[in-house]
Amino acid sequence: MDDHPPAIHCQQLDFVYPNGVQALSSVNLVIEPGEYIAFVGQNGSGKTSLVKHFNGLLKPTRGSVRIFGEDSSDKKVSYLSRKVGYVFQNPDDMLFCTSVQEEIAYGPRLLGMDHTEINQKVEHILLELGLDEHRETHPFALSLGDRQRLAVACALSLDPDVFVFDEPTTGQDYFGGKSIMNLIDQLHAKDKTIVIITHDMPLVAEHAHRVVVMSGGQIAMDGSPAQVFSQPEKLHQLSLRSPQVTQLAYEMGFTEQAILGVPEMVEWLSRSYLSADTTNPGSQP
Amino acid sequence: MMNIDMRTRKSPMQKLDGRTKLIALSVIFVLVLLFSHPAYILALLGVVMVIWWSAKLPLQTIKDLFKYFLVIAVIILVVQIFFYPGQTELIRLSNPVPAIGFSGFITLEGILFGVAMVLRLVVIMIVAPLMVLTTPLPELMLALVKLKIPYRFAFIMTTALSLLPSIQSHAAIIQQAQLCRGITYDTAGKFFTKLRASVALLVPLILGSFRDSQTLEIAMSSRAFGAPVKRTFLLDSQFSKIDYLILAVTIAILVTGIVLRILGFGVY
Amino acid sequence: MSTQDPSNIVPPAQPAQVRTYKARGRIFGMSIAVMSIWAAMYIAASAIPALPVPGMAGMITVNAIMTAISGMVLGPAAAIANAAGGIVSMILFPYGFSAGPLGFLTVTMGGLVAGLLFANKWVWAAVFELIIIGAWFVNPQSWQTGMWMVPLPYSAIALLVILVKPLRDWTRRSILTQHKVWMWPAVFLMCTVGHAAEFMTTNTLVNWMFNLSWQYWVPTLPYWIMVDTVVILASTIVGVGVLIGLKKARLPNYADTLEQ
Repeated sequence: MDDHPPAIHCQQLDFVYPNGVQALSSVNLVIEPGEYIAFVGQNGSGKTSLVKHFNGLLKPTRGSVRIFGEDSSDKKVSYLSRKVGYVFQNPDDMLFCTSVQEEIAYGPRLLGMDHTEINQKVEHILLELGLDEHRETHPFALSLGDRQRLAVACALSLDPDVFVFDEPTTGQDYFGGKSIMNLIDQLHAKDKTIVIITHDMPLVAEHAHRVVVMSGGQIAMDGSPAQVFSQPEKLHQLSLRSPQVTQLAYEMGFTEQAILGVPEMVEWLSRSYLSADTTNPGSQP
Repeated sequence: MMNIDMRTRKSPMQKLDGRTKLIALSVIFVLVLLFSHPAYILALLGVVMVIWWSAKLPLQTIKDLFKYFLVIAVIILVVQIFFYPGQTELIRLSNPVPAIGFSGFITLEGILFGVAMVLRLVVIMIVAPLMVLTTPLPELMLALVKLKIPYRFAFIMTTALSLLPSIQSHAAIIQQAQLCRGITYDTAGKFFTKLRASVALLVPLILGSFRDSQTLEIAMSSRAFGAPVKRTFLLDSQFSKIDYLILAVTIAILVTGIVLRILGFGVY
Repeated sequence: MSTQDPSNIVPPAQPAQVRTYKARGRIFGMSIAVMSIWAAMYIAASAIPALPVPGMAGMITVNAIMTAISGMVLGPAAAIANAAGGIVSMILFPYGFSAGPLGFLTVTMGGLVAGLLFANKWVWAAVFELIIIGAWFVNPQSWQTGMWMVPLPYSAIALLVILVKPLRDWTRRSILTQHKVWMWPAVFLMCTVGHAAEFMTTNTLVNWMFNLSWQYWVPTLPYWIMVDTVVILASTIVGVGVLIGLKKARLPNYADTLEQ
């Protein structure tokens, strides 16, 4: 177990804000390396408070959080950031340098890397994230999408194994959101552990491999998207809704397993209604 | 931050008009600068303490405030005791040291003047909180506007105050974001690390807030800010008999003070 | 109020007052919204603990940095925004002001002198700078041994930047055009003007209020030079970042109103 500790391990985690608001109560959670996990829930359900424990921004009031086996309570955020990168919702909150490449080099410089190593790293990240043509650009002159890529680049420059994204698609247009999700998928393909917070259920259905539903500071549901979205009544109680296509399939009577995307829906429809060898699976509309 | 909840306590001070308090406390401020004799300043401190007591404010607040001024108070006291050009020799310490302007002995005048200056510091430091802790901010702003402070200036102050919570939470988020980028705020004693951290905080805070200013501007225009009509106020204040009485006494004291000062009293 | 041509009998499609709202929402070319936000940031900055400089509490504050750069960001309106922020912070956090209720004057002067200079109203900038330096020397206290040295760093430098035309023009131009290299020393000079006006006003007020003699001022002078240099350097870094960012993101700043 100690040879391969989980990426994140929360045990009986309680968190109470200084103003007395209890944000988390008795959360138990294990995230293994390489997972792609989405946290959903109403505003105030505790999802942000929970993920802020993953890199030590918040420390447990009671219970413990272990990050790759290390207890977070006596570790600094600057240290834990090398293991868990956190990309904030608003990229502008993370940026303060005068050019894109300086911005990327900032973190490694603080870690005391040597000059050539930093340059190589910056080059590599610029190319990887498609920011190389903007290397001299002022961060604030970039488009929102590129600023967000830059915020990811800043997290990436510290070489973490886990990435936390707080509402990565909020405020983005369709293509902007698509592009950032592709980037996240790429990171996942490189064996990075991905944690996202979002309100966008189709996004969860399309990308995540595991969904954790938070409610009132506790984990209300935890499972694959198919498992979670196949319980619409329970989701409804938590003021959440499955993706529309899932709801549609459910309403049409396909209740045994959640349909997560349009291709699956099409496949099911063609199987149920167009091919001759199946019986009618549900009530006719 | 000062404990604003204390304003909810009922006391005669709260019932006064904001303008009365503002004028009365300004007069105390002027008088404490006018006089430099320890007896006069001690008398003023007495007046301030009576007001403080009648406003039912805790003494702890004064102690908390004084913590911040202890260093400057000690500097003032030491400099005056050693270097005030007094006559009445109390303690001879050494031969005169002309290089640092030290006469070699501590004088009665030096001690008294040092005490006077420290008392002056104390009065100055507790006069402003006295006003604030007994007057809700909207009333204070109204008092300022009624005293003919330009409305737009008062508007900037009130708007700034109402924006404060959102700016503070924005600043907290930025600080967290900077932590995630490897900046440490907690390395005690590392001066330049902290300096760098405040740079990393201010740039995104100013730029982000200026971005929000455009929304605020639209909100202001859509609510007819600057419309060329006479404004009315939701809150209104009226002088009561006590207000007039206190104002009369205040002005009488100010005039007496100025006359005494011109006649040469109260100067050290 | 109406700027309509009197010969124009046909009323315009849109009422003319619509424009006057916006015009009245501005002071010295800066919108009241921006000034309110600046003041709010100023108050928020007062809550951030000062960097502990050994010897005296609360001297390198985030506020000092904001005051030093305010003139370049807001122009002369900086004086009003700083004053508003200063008054409210003095009310909420009174321990930050060694000059007591007059403390807001210091940040007002910092914004005013630098803002006027940046707006190229250099005569007015010089007038206020001379008032600040003059107020120091009007006090008989200031004629003691060596006390003439106190305004030298950096008020004398500030006065040079204000009065020497080539230096003044170069400083303003380098900042306005955001020259890649020269912007840095130019912003440094401009921060010097802003910060010097602030701390010299503080010095003068403290000197008048507490009659500290030369035995305090002269020996501590090297220490203050060091502290002020650090503040100005930090302000320069912040100032360059903010000015470039404002321009790149096309956000409201005083330089834009100069170009119009």
